[in-house]
Amino acid sequence: MKKLVAVTACPTGIAHTYMAAENLSIAAKELGVEIKVETQGSVGIENELSEEDIKSADAVIIAAATKVDKSRFHGKPILEVPVEQAIKDAKSLIEKALKMEKPADYVERVEEIHKKRSAARTGAYKHLMTGVSYMIPFVVAGGILIAISFAFGINAFKNEGTLPAALMQIGGGSAFALMVPVLSGFIAYSIADRPGLVPGMVGGMLAVSTGAGFLGGIISGFLAGYTVDFLKRSIKLPKTLEGIMPVLVLPVLSCLIVGLLMIYVIGTPIKSIMTALTNWLTGMSKANAVLLGLILGLMMAFDMGGPVNKAAYTFATGLLASGIYTPMAAVMAAGMTPPLGLALATLIAKDRFTDDEIEAGKAAWVLGISFITEGAIPFAAADPLKVIPSIMVGSAVTGALSMLFGATLRVPHGGIFVLPIPNAVGNLPMYVISIIAGTVVTAFMVLLLKKKAS
Amino acid sequence: MKISDILSKDRINLNLKSSDKESVIKELISLLAKTGSIADKEEFFEAVWEREKTYSTGIGMGIAIPHGKSKAVKDAAIAFGKSERGIDFDSLDGKPAHLFFLIAVPEESHDLHLKLISTLSRKLMHEEVRKALYEADTEEKVLEALSFD
Repeated sequence: MKKLVAVTACPTGIAHTYMAAENLSIAAKELGVEIKVETQGSVGIENELSEEDIKSADAVIIAAATKVDKSRFHGKPILEVPVEQAIKDAKSLIEKALKMEKPADYVERVEEIHKKRSAARTGAYKHLMTGVSYMIPFVVAGGILIAISFAFGINAFKNEGTLPAALMQIGGGSAFALMVPVLSGFIAYSIADRPGLVPGMVGGMLAVSTGAGFLGGIISGFLAGYTVDFLKRSIKLPKTLEGIMPVLVLPVLSCLIVGLLMIYVIGTPIKSIMTALTNWLTGMSKANAVLLGLILGLMMAFDMGGPVNKAAYTFATGLLASGIYTPMAAVMAAGMTPPLGLALATLIAKDRFTDDEIEAGKAAWVLGISFITEGAIPFAAADPLKVIPSIMVGSAVTGALSMLFGATLRVPHGGIFVLPIPNAVGNLPMYVISIIAGTVVTAFMVLLLKKKAS
Repeated sequence: MKISDILSKDRINLNLKSSDKESVIKELISLLAKTGSIADKEEFFEAVWEREKTYSTGIGMGIAIPHGKSKAVKDAAIAFGKSERGIDFDSLDGKPAHLFFLIAVPEESHDLHLKLISTLSRKLMHEEVRKALYEADTEEKVLEALSFD
């Protein structure tokens, strides 16, 4: 049963308070709604609402001609009307109150956008993102353990039998080694369900061993998924033999096809692309590095967690498998500055923002330091033409600076929480400066473009 | 505590003469003055009129409950009146009022009296109570309609 709480009050507190309360109770009964009405009248507060009552209520009705303290109803939909409304037509008040939406909390709103976006992904993009999301925990675990190994000295892992060597074996030799197979496996899984996993992971292993890297892994994943899909539809076995389909026919045939294609057809050309890319990235001039950081930064801020942002992110994460850590640093930094810059802007120029936005600004700090770029979306949605260019400029600055300083990052996520881990970040001081610079530039741009809120 | 403690037979007028808002309030006040609950009729009228200005106590459904809190009131009291033809009371539903409850409350009031009035106010929201009041042709029946358990 739906539950409401209500407060009634009137100037003298003699009659209307009670009539309104009674009328709400009668109407609620007729509508089959549970209600508790607190009266603030001449006799004082009666039938006082407890914290429990309020917590369990779907909505709040305040029917009062005097001021009623609303602070205890924080987070509930509140319908506020003059007391006589509840006497005149309590029924429609109740109906209206129950239809009201909860005032969405800023963090909840960001979460909802996040979920909606994941659900809206379709086709190849969805499959790629499924693969990436399964891969990331492997990279996080591997990256951090490798970083800890380095904390014992950059070459400490070379002494066999020592802890640094063990950490490197866990992080680098195992977790990181699984990165591309898992990416490839779960792309295929997303396309063809369980039977996709086997050729996907095997194809991913081959991408690593042939030197095709994460690009090869992405291709092997799609190849495996669609191969299994094709096999499932084209092989028709007699009913009695259907049982051997998932355990024998599909795994063997799909691995054979994907494996042979990876080795003889795809592996070599992708390897040369990867090698060229790796060589270019490692031997890149400062100017090119800055340019790459700038582009990655623009991409990260452009759609705040959307496909463009994810493209930059996937690119940088994939490169970790090839031991290239600078784009990852640029990408994470550039993904942090949009919420951080907006939070800073709400702090220094309150007159440009609504009260809700100023409140949201506080939460944006937390989302920003956690590398949740989506934290900028509520601001961008309210004023896209001013906010999106501002955060793109800020992120471009951060991305470019991070690349210029050669900052590296071995972990694909975590925001500032990975910064204290020794060796997770290379050139930490300048990396922090890059983030701060982008934050300040973002805030400055917002203030420059955004007019005072009316 | 019974309703008759504040609303007695001699405070009921089943055939109000007035035809406008101001005079019907005064007519009801004189009922309370006669029974000794009001010390200063003019002063109490001011209190009721002041209250009426914030928004009309014509709550619709043919009912009006003008009320006032004033030191001109000696004891909490209610007067009830009925007008067959109805009186324009700026009611919420725009229709004339037929049933009138004038509620008088002293500055320093007994909580029990206020509770009684709040219970009465709640009663008026019930259709069967209103119906009984409309049909009541004697003072006894009015009190019966409002009687509390």
